[in-house]
Amino acid sequence: MIDKLLPATLRRLFLPLIACGLLLAPTAEVAAHAVVTESSLKHKPIEVNHETEVVLHFNSNVELGLSKVFLVSKGDIYHPLEIASGKKPGQVIIKVPALSEGDYAIKYKVFAADGHITEDVLRFKVSAQR
Amino acid sequence: MYIQGLANFIDDFLGGLMLISYALVVGSVLWSFFILRVGTPAAAGDAVVTRSVKLLNIGAVSLAASVGTKLVIKGAVLAATLGELPLGPYANTVQFKAGLLRLILALGFIWVAKRLNQAPRDKRNWQIVALLTLPLVVSGAWLVHAVGRFEQRELLMITTVAHQLAAAVWFGCVAQLMVLWRTSRLNDEAKALWPLAITRFGLLGVSSVVLLLVTGLPLAWTYIGSWDGLFGTGYGSLVVTKVWLLLVALGFAFLNHRAGRLWRANAGDPTVTKKVPYYIEAETFILVGILFIAATLSSQPPSVDIPDRTAQVADVINMFKPRLPKIESPSHEALLAGEAGRVAVVDKVPSVAATEWSDYNHNVSGLFLTGMGLLAMLSYVRGLRWANYWPLGFVGLSLFLFFRSDAETWPLGPIGFWESTFGNGEVFQHRIATLLAFVLGVMELRARTHPEARKLQYVFPILCAFGGILLLTHAHAEFELKSEFLIQSTHTTMGLLAVIMAAGRWLELRLATNEGYVEGRFAGFIAISAMFLIGNFLMFYREPLY
Ligand SMILES: [Cu+2]
Repeated sequence: MIDKLLPATLRRLFLPLIACGLLLAPTAEVAAHAVVTESSLKHKPIEVNHETEVVLHFNSNVELGLSKVFLVSKGDIYHPLEIASGKKPGQVIIKVPALSEGDYAIKYKVFAADGHITEDVLRFKVSAQR
Repeated sequence: MYIQGLANFIDDFLGGLMLISYALVVGSVLWSFFILRVGTPAAAGDAVVTRSVKLLNIGAVSLAASVGTKLVIKGAVLAATLGELPLGPYANTVQFKAGLLRLILALGFIWVAKRLNQAPRDKRNWQIVALLTLPLVVSGAWLVHAVGRFEQRELLMITTVAHQLAAAVWFGCVAQLMVLWRTSRLNDEAKALWPLAITRFGLLGVSSVVLLLVTGLPLAWTYIGSWDGLFGTGYGSLVVTKVWLLLVALGFAFLNHRAGRLWRANAGDPTVTKKVPYYIEAETFILVGILFIAATLSSQPPSVDIPDRTAQVADVINMFKPRLPKIESPSHEALLAGEAGRVAVVDKVPSVAATEWSDYNHNVSGLFLTGMGLLAMLSYVRGLRWANYWPLGFVGLSLFLFFRSDAETWPLGPIGFWESTFGNGEVFQHRIATLLAFVLGVMELRARTHPEARKLQYVFPILCAFGGILLLTHAHAEFELKSEFLIQSTHTTMGLLAVIMAAGRWLELRLATNEGYVEGRFAGFIAISAMFLIGNFLMFYREPLY
């Protein structure tokens, strides 16, 4: 159809233009669909030096076999975490090792059931209880 | 990182291409049965039918190609994101299976198109077409948002499929109208069919619009749910943009419909052959934009799922509010000093300098575009021929971008020109963008000042359409905070305007015949006004600090 639509010169220009367009693509981080709608980090802060489980609820079913979760500590050091699916659909349970006081983040890369891959960060603090 | 970003973008882009191809196939099928009336004694002639089958075939080929590439790219994105590709789990996803099914169905269409080409009147072939169409439409249900959801999953899947079907009928048939118009230049039978097809399409067009609205409203209601959700999220702002473009497309549809009625009332009314073909081309531009937005929507989290990351309507209004543009840039050292904290995962510190640097870049670009828009408006006043030199602004803009887009490279930063251009993907992109702005300026300058350069004139609207689609599919990065949505809302609006600019300028060029229709100049002025507005938004742009 394209070749009927465009004059000859343009036809020759068209593919290079498409190629340029693709090169102009933004190098954005992944923005996609599966997002956390609820996290246990909010109402149950992690205690110092205690192994815990963090429960995340996603807005969509998640393919565990195609997902990864990392603990990020100061200086942006990544540490892979074990994940399992919870009882409810969209629930993911993350095993967090014992942590000392400080700032951390959970970085997740998950594959939603509708085929979209999402990366996002949940930041949290571990502090001694008063 | 760069490869991953690129792969993601291609993934989104292919999503749009897939929708377009799907619409071409499904729309062409309905076109054959309802407009060409194949399989009945009153069927259109072989020449007309085979031309329309050709478009069906193009749709099928591009569907097969885009689905196939998407399956591979998705694997590449997974491999880049996870650092490995678990093949088993990947092949087991609903996405992979539904995609594979679509690929096979597309191949089926290619096969039957070949047979139809030899025997366009064979009823059996048309039965196969109808048989293939059903699973193609239904398989879409497993490729949408709804499939991953927990509530009302089936209902949402069915509604989405019906919505897609309606869009496909509209776009596919409009594309077929364009083919018929081309055919009618050489073929008398097609010429006789043309006004008839316009009127026959009326009913099909109106029913597809009704179906679009009837299915679109409950979908929007379910996925958005509130006013803030509509205006304060990326998902919502894309829906708003889609509605605006839909209104423009409906305007064209109305003009065509009216021309068809006029022709029936007094046979020989010239609008149907003089203007309608070009309206249909412009409508196609708009519909392509809409389909790309639809594809982008499916990679955004629905507004209802992110109530705590939604911006208020007031915040959004604030993004567009006129203010003095920032014409002072933070120092280069200040910018580089803040970079480490800005990109950190833990201990992230927002960088004031980075925000101000970006504001300055956007605002100054806006000044360029606003100025060009004003000059271009003047060029429509008789006797102000010098105003036709406005595309020179693009050349100025490209020089500005050359110096500003990458702080850490030559000529402002320590990294050399060649080293940075070929060593860093992002810098490479910016260099290409800069070059493109320059080339665009030079070409459009020639096109505006040398009326005989007819073909060159079309480069501008095509690049605008492409740029608009880039802005629309380019969702701004990680959505950690609502500020991301605020940035995105301005960029989406600019994408919308760029698509309108493309359609307007295209129409102006097409209607610039010896008769010199007013509509053409009107469309051209709208295109220029859209550019002016983009300039305004950029000029007032302020990145929220985060
Ligand atoms: Cu921007």
